[in-house]
Amino acid sequence: MSATLGTGSLELRGLAKRYGEFVAVQGADLMIAAGSFLTLLGPSGSGKTTILMMIAGFTEPTAGRLLLGGGDITALPPEKRAFGMVFQGYALFPHMTVAENVAFPLRVRGIGRAARDTRVRATLDLVQLSGFADRRPAQLSGGQQQRVALARALVFDPALLLLDEPLSALDKKLRAELQEELRALHRRVGRTFINVTHDQEEALSLSDEVAVLNHGRIVQKGAPAMLYEHPRTRFVAGFLGKSNFLHGVVQGDGTVQCGPWRLHHAAPPAPGTAVLLSLRPEKIALGQAGDNAIEGRVLSSAYLGAGHAVVLDTPIGPIRVHQPAWRAAVDPAIGTTISMAWAADAATIVEDDDAPG
Amino acid sequence: MDGIYRPGWVGRALGWGTALYLVLPLFIILPVSVTDQRFLSLPHEGISLRHYAALFAAPDWFASIAQSFWIACASTVLAVGTGTLFAIACWRLNRRSTELLRALMLLPLIVPSIVYAIGLYRYFGWWDLLDRFAGVVIAHGVTGIPYVVITVSTALASFDPRLEQAARGMGASLRQVLAWVILPRIMPGIVSGAIFAFIHSWDELVIVLFIASRDVFTLPRRIWDGINENQDPIMAAVAVLLIGFTTLLLVVDMALRRKRDT
Ligand SMILES: Nc1ncnc2c1ncn2[C@@H]1O[C@H](COP(=O)(O)OP(=O)(O)OP(=O)(O)O)[C@@H](O)[C@H]1O
Ligand SMILES: [Mg+2]
Repeated sequence: MSATLGTGSLELRGLAKRYGEFVAVQGADLMIAAGSFLTLLGPSGSGKTTILMMIAGFTEPTAGRLLLGGGDITALPPEKRAFGMVFQGYALFPHMTVAENVAFPLRVRGIGRAARDTRVRATLDLVQLSGFADRRPAQLSGGQQQRVALARALVFDPALLLLDEPLSALDKKLRAELQEELRALHRRVGRTFINVTHDQEEALSLSDEVAVLNHGRIVQKGAPAMLYEHPRTRFVAGFLGKSNFLHGVVQGDGTVQCGPWRLHHAAPPAPGTAVLLSLRPEKIALGQAGDNAIEGRVLSSAYLGAGHAVVLDTPIGPIRVHQPAWRAAVDPAIGTTISMAWAADAATIVEDDDAPG
Repeated sequence: MDGIYRPGWVGRALGWGTALYLVLPLFIILPVSVTDQRFLSLPHEGISLRHYAALFAAPDWFASIAQSFWIACASTVLAVGTGTLFAIACWRLNRRSTELLRALMLLPLIVPSIVYAIGLYRYFGWWDLLDRFAGVVIAHGVTGIPYVVITVSTALASFDPRLEQAARGMGASLRQVLAWVILPRIMPGIVSGAIFAFIHSWDELVIVLFIASRDVFTLPRRIWDGINENQDPIMAAVAVLLIGFTTLLLVVDMALRRKRDT
């Protein structure tokens, strides 16, 4: 059996990758505790796969270091790192059966047939594929292939499991199911999982920690709730869920002058500062009183079952509001003018980076 | 097949014409091989299998068949071994220089074999390889490499490089990746290349004419001499057997391709 690496925490120190002049990843710093579930979240081309490939050892970083349990693994080839990896599209061996696929990492380590069979069976049980051992990958559904890829990555008990958009090819229902399985699996095996996705819901629901990437840079990292409630920049607020953005200037009395309104904010910076407020649609209440109350004319209103998605026209532009449909205070009929309100601590001050809407 | 344009009558006529033209020599050789005459001709009074019988009774023909067979086998091994490794190396390095090298490896297909044979004659003279089993094996093996390079490169082009990454990521060494992932995936290409390399050696004449004389007397060589010296219809019988054998190999190749494609 080849030497297995320690199972300590993984650390990225200033990890960077350039392709010629183009910077794919710039100075990524991350500390990933052993046994935690980290998600790299970002739009297409933001460098997620590149970071994952550098961790796996397939892409050589231009600068920076990679440490596992304190030891430097930057120069270690991928076969020596042997982190479990689930590729986008799974990369199962088409000429092998499911069982042979899962047995592959064990065969590589020279583990005897009997021990191999036992572990393959146990791992297939884990991903609920016991009845499929003798099929070929081509004879499986997308979700089943994905679970084979997971089993193959888990069977040799790697220190780290790398997942590159493992669920992106699946329909919504199957994806939700497999997210649940993935989370349960993570709890059961207690290994470090690093997941890549551009699906913000998946990132929020699965992870202990999320790192948001944009243009090859880690913009913010933290626990899902922390990121959602306290986005540092406009990009993070807009990428993780929806948000309204209000430009304003802090006044002498601590209010924020925003168009014609003076808005109360829980923690205003020094007077004279120009600020950008991020206000989540679900934190605005229609037809109710609050610290900040303004009026707007309903531009559009969509019924979503659980709630209404309403857009109101105000002097500072359209504002989106989500409100529960059940026992709503007002009926957001198009063309009517209604009042809305939010608490002083509802909005967050964010940095204005270049953001997609 | 559904959903494709059906060929018009011009296309049909051209297709059938070409096919007919290709198989016409075969239709002539078959009746000639069952002639009742003593010279190369069509049957006069009836058909007879005497030339087939004569063929199996003639030790020199049999020796040539055996010799050709073993030369073809050995040169196929040589061509498949070097051609496959070369194709894999080019594919892995994938630089502009490897493109050039690959083109270079196809030279034996491009250079007329008579030119090639003259060159070989010179070198083999120096190295004492003339009229030797090893000499013919080397010559046929080297000229068989392009077939293997082409078929294996084609197979590699459709190989998903992430399979190799996946294998490495699970701790597989280069040797294990090669043996358990790459080779099984490109095996149909290798077998195709082997079949072509075999056929190439099996019916190669020009080079043999130059580098072999007495000790190495392959089947095509014997047919050639037979035609030049006496018009014995035994040659037609040999030709029919040769065609049958080659067709068999091609059918095997097609079956393998079909298996790969499904
Ligand atoms: N081999 C390469 N040569 C040049 N540029 C590259 C190379 N690989 C990636 N890039 C660039 O680096 C950037 C980051 O790529 P990466 O694959 O990490 O994106 P990603 O975040 O995984 O995107 P996606 O969600 O679309 O998979 C992209 O702009 C891409 O064009
Ligand atoms: Mg990617």
